[in-house]
Amino acid sequence: MRSPARRTTGALVLSAALTLGLAACGGGDDGGGGGSDDPIVVGISLPLTGDFSEPGKGVQEGYEAWAKITNDKGGLLGGRKIELKILDDQSNADRVVADYEQLIGSDQVDLVVGPFSTRLVVPSARVAQEYGMLFVEPAGAAAEVFNQGFKNLFYAAPAVADDHYNHLAEYLLALPAGEKPETVAYAAMDDPFAQGTAYGLKKKLEAGGVKTVVDEVYPPNTTDFGSIAAKIAAAKPDMVVGGSQYQDGVNLIVALQQLNYQPKLAAFSTAPTNPEFAKAIGNKTEGILSPTGYSQDAPYESNKEFVEKFTAQFGRAPEEDQANGYTTGQVVAAAVEAAGCAEQGDCQQKLIDWLHSNTVDTVVGPLKWDATGKPQGAHMIQQWVGDDIKIVLPADAKEADLVYPKPAW
Amino acid sequence: MPSGGLLFQSIILGLLLGGLYALLAAGLTLYFGIMRVVMIAHSAFLILAAYLAWWTNDRLGIDPLLSLVVTVPLFFGAGVLLQRGLLSRLRPATLTMMSVLITFAIALMIEGLLGYAFTGTQRRIQLGYGTASFELFGARVAVVKLIAFGLAAVSLAALYTLMKRTQFGWALRATIQHRDAARLVGIDTERTAGFGFGLGLATAAVGGTALSLDTTIYPSLHWHWIGPLMAIIVVGGLGSVPGAAAAALLLGLAQSLLQIPMGATWAQTVFYVALFATLAVRPQGFFGGRLAQRF
Repeated sequence: MRSPARRTTGALVLSAALTLGLAACGGGDDGGGGGSDDPIVVGISLPLTGDFSEPGKGVQEGYEAWAKITNDKGGLLGGRKIELKILDDQSNADRVVADYEQLIGSDQVDLVVGPFSTRLVVPSARVAQEYGMLFVEPAGAAAEVFNQGFKNLFYAAPAVADDHYNHLAEYLLALPAGEKPETVAYAAMDDPFAQGTAYGLKKKLEAGGVKTVVDEVYPPNTTDFGSIAAKIAAAKPDMVVGGSQYQDGVNLIVALQQLNYQPKLAAFSTAPTNPEFAKAIGNKTEGILSPTGYSQDAPYESNKEFVEKFTAQFGRAPEEDQANGYTTGQVVAAAVEAAGCAEQGDCQQKLIDWLHSNTVDTVVGPLKWDATGKPQGAHMIQQWVGDDIKIVLPADAKEADLVYPKPAW
Repeated sequence: MPSGGLLFQSIILGLLLGGLYALLAAGLTLYFGIMRVVMIAHSAFLILAAYLAWWTNDRLGIDPLLSLVVTVPLFFGAGVLLQRGLLSRLRPATLTMMSVLITFAIALMIEGLLGYAFTGTQRRIQLGYGTASFELFGARVAVVKLIAFGLAAVSLAALYTLMKRTQFGWALRATIQHRDAARLVGIDTERTAGFGFGLGLATAAVGGTALSLDTTIYPSLHWHWIGPLMAIIVVGGLGSVPGAAAAALLLGLAQSLLQIPMGATWAQTVFYVALFATLAVRPQGFFGGRLAQRF
């Protein structure tokens, strides 16, 4: 990995060379690209209203923090400031298409980055691909995103849904025979992300000989989790895994406690990392595990700066949605600096090619991608230990030892 | 083959869930009986009551059940005002259809105001007894579910007594049966209808509070409830409180038991299968629904 200083020097030299080249041409047409001190305009459509408005606003803050922190340090390409142009897609797939058409075709932005959720990422990535634009996105993790044939897409996170639990799977399968869990119950929301996380783990555990005794899928509008909990409690598995969003994870955990079921291990996606979680289940959080793409405590170099400056800018610490937006910005910035350009046209392919061949250090760790834009890492695993949620896996990022078997709820 | 224990546990859960459904649906069937109003906003009022219960507990530190002291009369008053000020202005000829639109608008406004006042953050009431349970012949009975069932039983018994044993109840039932005839024998049907509507919304205050004890709430949650509740009042016979209660218990039990072989996704279709079967086979409803014969 090239050092930031050397990369900046290289960019400066390249920028100076371009300036001299332009002068030598006697002030000829620069082909529609920005000059060396014009802002780099980044176009984004986000769900600022509608179903995804809360995470959408979180991602917006992440982008705004990225723009401000980068600009405060002098901008990109030797002095060009980042300017954001944000539209509201109302959590609507048709609207998101119109928004990106406008941003790229009409507003002529230099770069575009992604909205929130698979449902919006897929149609917008298609628009970006038609225009040949690089498309780094913060929050489309379902398998569907990566089987569309996109060549320009990069998901700016450690792992896709199927791989969120990889570190936990490795840990459990490495346990000696007497300690390894033998049976597991899964309950997942019928949603590509939530289901993907749970089933990714299921696939690996089944391959490792851990038996599935309950496999429930429930629709997003489920209001009563008593019967699902009853099936799990009746089967008495060693382990329970929830492919949850938030309210469903909370409701299921409470229902399991009401039925007096005590697992050795309980893992839920998303819900345990929500700020409301401990309050919602009455601090009966001890030992609950969750994969997370982001933690304020993660030891990555740029994360310390991000937490400090984001908190100064917004008055509170960043959470996962903000970090997803920021990470996306970091990825784009790394490509821009390396390729030495940021405008529409041929530059976009240079950016895409560079990201396919390189690793980028971010607030969520080093990221690299396969040909479909799927990140090749795994999420950190957090566990509630002593009234706080701490990183327990992987070993090089851990803040506490993984507790297994889990204490009583 | 499910074990006997799981079967019995599911029966317990189904009955408790059915009781909650009965409480949530009782008001809905009253509205239709009283004024032929399709009250889409009923479940939005349930969620409003749930939020008020949460606010009482979280911000004031009071047990959420005590919020009923305020919310029941408040919702009664809101119901009277809603009926007298808004619904009574609708023309009789298009009343039922227009009431769908007007109450849909009310539901949206409640959802928007809840989002504005409480944000979209999903909330859950934290109770010391929230996960407590006791054993009953091998099955677990959750305390909060039993409390909700108890609230349902008490509320429905009170409602039944009111309807059957008081002069107001007689007047209300007469208004439900035949408004013009009731007016002819001297009943002030407008006033009676207003109070009847208030009564329906008062049950929403109780139902919403019961709901809040054991669920995570958010502003758009009401859309998940209105469908099953509509199915219940049709199966039970429009305008029939005992019918709604019986249908709720039956469908709650069916949903719970069907989840064993079919899973949650298909089990919840029992409401719509029952709705379809009712309309196809016995459109007046399976319980008590002489009233519905008029439609």
